[in-house]
Amino acid sequence: MKRALFTALLGLGAMIMSVPPGFAHHSAAMFEPTKTITVEGVVKEWQLTNPHSWLLVEVTGKDGKPVVWGFEAEGPSTLLRAGIKPSDLKVGTKLTITGRPMKDGQKAAIWVSAVREDGKKLDPAAGFKTK
Amino acid sequence: MTHGRTKMGAMMGAFLTLSTVLSACTASSPKPAGPAAPRIAERTKEQKAELGRQHKTAADLYQALREEAKGGQPLSSAGLPDWSGVYSRPADKGFTFDPDQPDGGLPTAKLTPEYQKKLLKRIEDVKHGIEWDPISTCSPPGMPRWLTEPFLREFVVTPEQTWLINEMVNDVRRVYTDGRPHVAEEDRLPIPDGDSIGFWDGPQLVVHTNQLQAGIYQRSNPDYTNQVETVEIWKKMDDKTMGVDVWVYDPPALVEPWYVKQTYVKLDDPDKNLRIRYWNCGENPNNSVVQTKDGTTQFRDLNFGEKSGAEKGKP
Repeated sequence: MKRALFTALLGLGAMIMSVPPGFAHHSAAMFEPTKTITVEGVVKEWQLTNPHSWLLVEVTGKDGKPVVWGFEAEGPSTLLRAGIKPSDLKVGTKLTITGRPMKDGQKAAIWVSAVREDGKKLDPAAGFKTK
Repeated sequence: MTHGRTKMGAMMGAFLTLSTVLSACTASSPKPAGPAAPRIAERTKEQKAELGRQHKTAADLYQALREEAKGGQPLSSAGLPDWSGVYSRPADKGFTFDPDQPDGGLPTAKLTPEYQKKLLKRIEDVKHGIEWDPISTCSPPGMPRWLTEPFLREFVVTPEQTWLINEMVNDVRRVYTDGRPHVAEEDRLPIPDGDSIGFWDGPQLVVHTNQLQAGIYQRSNPDYTNQVETVEIWKKMDDKTMGVDVWVYDPPALVEPWYVKQTYVKLDDPDKNLRIRYWNCGENPNNSVVQTKDGTTQFRDLNFGEKSGAEKGKP
């Protein structure tokens, strides 16, 4: 099955992680300040847009049905500064991704970190480093 | 043989003549002139803050600096400073207007009671999860907030204008150094980046900006009014670092001018991948947010289905 779904791993954590120091354009007030969620899935769509990009990840819910999570990050040039290129996340790419979920329960989160199936780490916050 | 010797002699003569001419040209060609030495004195941070306090308005400070620089020196094409490269503002301490703001402390501005009260409420609201940023509607950050955004920047110097470029919302500040004055007072109206004029003092650019719009310095930072004006001195501190002394004047909000030092770091880009590209703030509906009744931020209508988001940027 081309779009084979990964088993969803929905784990809520409360650890403080390395997160972007702020969020361009809009406040991050709608997201949990410290809680995190981690899911495994495949890339459904990557919207590389300004001022924020959205990585849509399809996971398998507890009931076996597909569920789409949206992970919000900064725009394309900041992601590029983090070493995350457009070609890194093609549709169907398998990954494990962690983010700070929305307070109201919508299936969206600030993208904190991700690891592709081949082990490549994708950390958007690194895009704000100046070196 | 004689003919050959003669030919050889003629060639040698021509070569020597050419060498002499080239040598003379080289000796007489002026070397490209670098920027002249600055006349404005080096000052410590406290002396710079005090300099701001010695002048009642930004225009007064700008005029004093101009006099200290003896009017400044026009740039020639051969004397342009090298401000090339792609820069960004360090964000390791967050986005506060004053990079020297202590961790967990308040902004370093000396605010009037009204604006201090506003600031404290803003900070208290954030503690309760309530925050709204006025640029959430895709309006530009505007000056002086322009200084704080952590995205890509380029600085383009010509003898008559310098362009200070921030990637965010394609924001370009034009600093006119051709001797023109500000827009006539009766014709001024508040605009996001205001009206900037400047002069060169050796390798440093002194800028006065007026005609600005009200805004906030940054989230969890104070408000400024549409009376805000700034004076800046831009200068390369070393090959990797652009430094900017900033004095902000805003009588309704500031008890005294707010002096801060901003820096921007030239980013390593050996493969020349970094580019400032067009920034369309409204291209993805999933980024549209609204202010809720309690004053905080919420997405308008997230949609991750078949019709989700922008069509652009799909790898």
